[in-house]
Amino acid sequence: MAPDYDVEFIDRGDRDREARFLVRDVSPAFANGIRRAMIADVPTLSIDEVRVIENSSVMFDEQIALRLGLVPLTTPDDYEIGETVTLALDVEGPGTAYSGDLVSTDDRVEPADKNVPIIDLKDPEGSETPQRLEVEADAVYDVGREHAKHQGGVAVGYRHLQTVEIVGDADEYGDDDPHILRGVIEEDGELIPTEEFDHDLTQRYPGKEVEVHDVPNAFVFHVETDGSMSVDELVTQAVDTIHGRASELKDAVQL
Amino acid sequence: MSYKCSRCKRDVELDEYGGVRCPYCGHRVLLKERSRDVKEVDVN
Repeated sequence: MAPDYDVEFIDRGDRDREARFLVRDVSPAFANGIRRAMIADVPTLSIDEVRVIENSSVMFDEQIALRLGLVPLTTPDDYEIGETVTLALDVEGPGTAYSGDLVSTDDRVEPADKNVPIIDLKDPEGSETPQRLEVEADAVYDVGREHAKHQGGVAVGYRHLQTVEIVGDADEYGDDDPHILRGVIEEDGELIPTEEFDHDLTQRYPGKEVEVHDVPNAFVFHVETDGSMSVDELVTQAVDTIHGRASELKDAVQL
Repeated sequence: MSYKCSRCKRDVELDEYGGVRCPYCGHRVLLKERSRDVKEVDVN
């Protein structure tokens, strides 16, 4: 039986895309499992096939297709792996084609950021018609393990929660070098992000000699998504995939 | 094969006897037009 774990938020970024939270009483292996699941096992929608109807821009169809593939799309959670949504883009120069110009057949699926430039279209002098890009694209629901464009978590990592122990007074004639520490420290049960003292322990504990220790089985996760889903959804779906595979293994072993 | 003359911008059909030359203005630089087919591209 797994021991009771505990989750506590430290800060949440804007637009539900970024968060930092503390998880206690999980093993390092499990913490890393969650991290890996967030990167590779949570499916998102991403453009996978492009039908180019017209492309008189200066770039090859394949280059434009690659750019379209990397546009993060908001992803509802009721899709199945391999399911597709069709999107269309039709822009004529002069001007820039942006991700926001993509039109989707499913209202819930749209570019997470509207201002990703796809290509600059010109109206060249001496040309009869301005440059034009008209494409139809199929976005497919798949996992980050298959292709990096399907990664929902883009900056996912964790550090140990740490404590600072005062072991004595600092050497009076020693160099006053900064003692840099990045992350979150715990002091008398209170969580203090190191940004509060400019990541410098000599600012928080002036004139003291300190030792930094890891708190066992306590991890501070920093999670940032590409906008295809909120941090909450990403983390819960990542844990669900681990749970799914664990029960699959359990059933398989019992046979 | 459909081409476009780079000088007079007119559409040119080439056959095997005429050689590479615009029948309207005699210019020898012809540009190949993009096919009107829809091209399928796999993103990877």
